[in-house]
Parts: sequence; C-alpha cells; structure tokens
Amino acid sequence: MAEPILRVERVSKAFGGLTAVNDVSFEMNRGEILGLIGPNGAGKTTLFNVISGYYRPTHGRVFFNGRDISHKPPYYLAARGIGRTFQVVKPFAGLTVLENITIASFLKHPRRAQAEAHAWKVLEFTGLADRAKIQAASLTLAGRKRLEISKALALEPTFLLLDEVVAGLNPTEADRTIELILKVRDQGITILIVEHIMRVIMGISDRLVVLNFGMKIAEGSPAQVAADPGVIKAYLGEEQE
Amino acid sequence: MITLKRDRRLQGAVVVCAALLLVPLAVHDTFYLRVLTEAIMWIGLALAFDALAGYTGYLNFGHQAFFGIGAYTTAVLMMKSGWPFFLAVAAGGVAAAIGALIIGLPTLRLRGTYFAIATWALARAIQQLALVTNLVGGPGGIRLTAYLNPVYFFYVMLGVVAAIFFVLWFLLERAPFGLKLKAIREDQDSAKALGLNPTLLKNLAFILSAVPTALIGGVFAYWITYIDPGSTLGDLVSDQALVMVIFGGMGTLIGPAIGAVLIFGFKTLFWTYLAAYEVLYTIVLGGVIALTVVFLPNGVLGLFYRSRRGRNAPSLLRPKTGMPEPSGKEA
Repeated sequence: MAEPILRVERVSKAFGGLTAVNDVSFEMNRGEILGLIGPNGAGKTTLFNVISGYYRPTHGRVFFNGRDISHKPPYYLAARGIGRTFQVVKPFAGLTVLENITIASFLKHPRRAQAEAHAWKVLEFTGLADRAKIQAASLTLAGRKRLEISKALALEPTFLLLDEVVAGLNPTEADRTIELILKVRDQGITILIVEHIMRVIMGISDRLVVLNFGMKIAEGSPAQVAADPGVIKAYLGEEQE
Repeated sequence: MITLKRDRRLQGAVVVCAALLLVPLAVHDTFYLRVLTEAIMWIGLALAFDALAGYTGYLNFGHQAFFGIGAYTTAVLMMKSGWPFFLAVAAGGVAAAIGALIIGLPTLRLRGTYFAIATWALARAIQQLALVTNLVGGPGGIRLTAYLNPVYFFYVMLGVVAAIFFVLWFLLERAPFGLKLKAIREDQDSAKALGLNPTLLKNLAFILSAVPTALIGGVFAYWITYIDPGSTLGDLVSDQALVMVIFGGMGTLIGPAIGAVLIFGFKTLFWTYLAAYEVLYTIVLGGVIALTVVFLPNGVLGLFYRSRRGRNAPSLLRPKTGMPEPSGKEA
C-alpha cells in the first residue's frame, strides 16, 4: 500500500494534570475522508490542534507525507499543504469576504492581482461569490462556516482538517455543505473531519476513528463502528442491571 | 470600484504634494513656514505610527524612542564625526531599524497590551540612558551648527514625508503586505493557519514604522538645531501621534494625515493665543481622545465613509470579543 498521507503515532497532549489526548495512533490514506468522532470533551479539537501545529504534542509524533511535523508551526504546515478550519469560526471580521480569501491565496499566488483572481475562483466554487464585497462580520453563521472552508481551500491544500463545519446549520445548509465537502474530496484532497451530527459523519466518512476521554476506542468503517459495543457504551452509557 | 477610489485618493495626495511645493513661493513669513514644516512633520509621524498601530493593531507607546534615535544619531554623526546631513539622517534610519529588531523580536510575540507596556518602559529607559550619557550631552543635549534656511527645511521635510507616504501607500495599500498585516490584526490564529508568520510580519511592520520616524527625527534635529532628551525622547511624540491617528482614522493613510493637520493646527492656535494656559493642552488632548473613541470610533475619516458609502466599518478601537453569534440562521 502507498505511504499514508498522515500518520499519527502515539500522540498524547496534556494540559497540566489533564490529559486531553492519550496515546492516540492512526493513519490516513490519500483521498479518503476520515471522520473523528467522540462525545464532548473527548479530545477531538485538541488532536486537531496538534496535527495542525497549534499545540505541540506532549508525547508522540505526527508524520505528514512521511515527514515529522510534530514541532512545526502552523504557517509552515500551511505551506506544506495542510489547510484547516476552526470550530469557533475565525473570519477577518473587518475585511471583505474577497479580502479574506485573497489573503489565503497569497500562499500560492504571491502577486495581488493573481491572488484576487484565484480568490474569485474559490468563491465561485464554494458559492460565496455573490457576497464577495461585503464585510465578513455581516455574514450569517452559515456564511462564516463557508468562509472558513473557502479560506482553507484557497491555500490549495492536499490535506484538509474540518472542525465542525456542519454543526449549527439548518438541514438545507447542512446538505449544501456536505455537497461541498464531497466536491472537495473529488478533487483529490484528503479530509479529516470532526463532526457531532451522526447523520453527516456516517454518511460521508470512508472510515471513522472514535475518541473517548482522549483515547482511541474504535476505528473502522461507519458500519463497524456503529456496531461496536465500546462505542455504544461511550455514547449511550451502560445499561443498569 | 475600490481600486478606482483608492486611485483617486492617491491622485489627491499627489496634487496636495504638488501644491505644497509652491507654498514657499507664496509664504515668505518665517513663522508660517515653520508652522507648515512642523505640520508636515506631524503628518509623517502620524503615518509612521499608524503603519504599526492601524495595520497590525499594536500600539507603540515608545514611538518617541525612534524619533530620538534618529535625532541623536544625526546630531552626533554631524557634530562629532563631521558626516554630511543626508548621510547622517540615513544612518539614523539604519540605527532605528536595528533598534526596532532588538525591541521587536522579544516584545512583538506578546499580545498588544503587553507590547504597549513594554515599549513604553523601554522608551523611558532610552530617555534615561540619554540623560546619563556624556557622548550625547546628558541632560544638556546637543547643539548643532545652525543652518537658518526655513525654505530648505520646508522642502527637505516635505520630500521626506512625501516619500514616506508613497512608500507606505505602496506597501500597505497596494502590495499584499498590507493585507497580510490586517489579517494579523483581525485574527492572529487564523492568519497562521493561512501560512502567515505573525512574528516576522509584525517585526517588518515595526521596522516600517521605526525607520520613517527616525528619518523625520534626523531632519528635525538639524532644523531645530538643538535637541535634548525632553524634546526628542519625551512622551509627547507618541501621545500626539496616537491622538492624531485615532482622531483622523486608524488603519488608513489618509486618516492620520487629516488628524495630524487638525490636531497640530489646534495645538498651534492654542499655544499662540492661549499660551498662558499651556498646561491645559494635554488635558484637552485627553478629552479629544475620549470623545473620539465614544462618538467617532472610526475617526474623522469614518464620518466621511459613513455618509458616502453607507458602510459601517467595525472600529479598530473597540475591543474584539470574538464574533457575536448571529441568532438568525440564514439571510
């Protein structure tokens, strides 16, 4: 089998006495969508932050295309092809939607005119073009989540981390975002996605990794994971005798 | 649309500069020429202050340190080493760039508030250092050989400030650099995810703010012919620049210029006609800043924007508390 695009090797992250991620390992193949699920506080976002360079792992290492990236800063990883979104969206609120995307486009298009042209293409792709000239601050939540994805895509990444881009959207918006994610995958971009909504994550993921209390408790296809007694216990609790 | 508008403003700036070139032909009174020279100087200082404050969101309360570094470097090189004026001024700019790196590398990693405190304290330390260093004359300062030619200094100041304006315009409004700085101002974490190195960019912006300030300081030293730690390294330089920037409109290049002209004009009138109440000036300045923050969060320029474009830009003065979550789902 080909070399995995991402290899997480026995990663732990502790904040003082709290171990948010505990000895987690998994691999990702090129072009797949891997869903990362788990109850609240399972360590999903922390693991995201470790992979994208915002946190340094306390133990363990992360390999991207075979290279150790565990202690590299986020901007280095962005240049290597890792794009990410934030669960709490982080638009450049005082700038226009177009400017937001243009800034991301500078990574691959250092000249302003080219970056702007590329930004328009991304906006067409993600369906934000009609809102290009308005301030990011005046976008709706759905718009902001879409802007997050657009910014990450403007980096022209090979690997995308999506942190709850569907949560909080109404069913119509959610379907449109899912469509967008699948469109991104069809371009050959590998996607690691965190999502709470089971309908979404079960539908689009090729494989799932389940975290609970910072530890990996299951891994496999959505069907396998859904039938896993450990996963059911983590989500629903144990039946009383 | 926006490009066109910016172009028009750039054309406006060129026209203003050209008009100023003609001023010495019409104004022969030394006092007025001096006032105009100083007004231009403050435009330059406000612009340089805003290059960092408005575009990255980092308030430098030690801005005067670079003004002083420029003034002192120029004075010492001219008087003790016999350097020609322009070379000495340029050396002041280089000294400021080095100073900015020394100060910026450790402090620009901090968040804005801590940066403001650190720069304020460092500028104080530099002022104290000048007071006890014999090479720079201690509290007595340095007297330069007087060159009494107001027209010459008017043109030198105009040339330096115009050059600063157009360089800043190009880098901050045209080139990607300005937009990258704004990204850092708006959200540093998000900027990092997009491949931007905040510490590097902030340090470059700091240098871009420090060097022009030092160049102006160098011209100031030769023009005024006498500098001391109070006049060139005192708080008033950064305080006034800050007020001009906020009053005029932060995060733009036209705003600080407008603010500088209005505030300096007011100061001149105040000190000319109400000299006995000089002490009130800083109190008034404080009042102006408080009222501006409350009633004109985008400065004088913001008034203009609102009426012209109906656009209500979020103010840079308001603390960022994160995005308010919208209650409605779809617009």
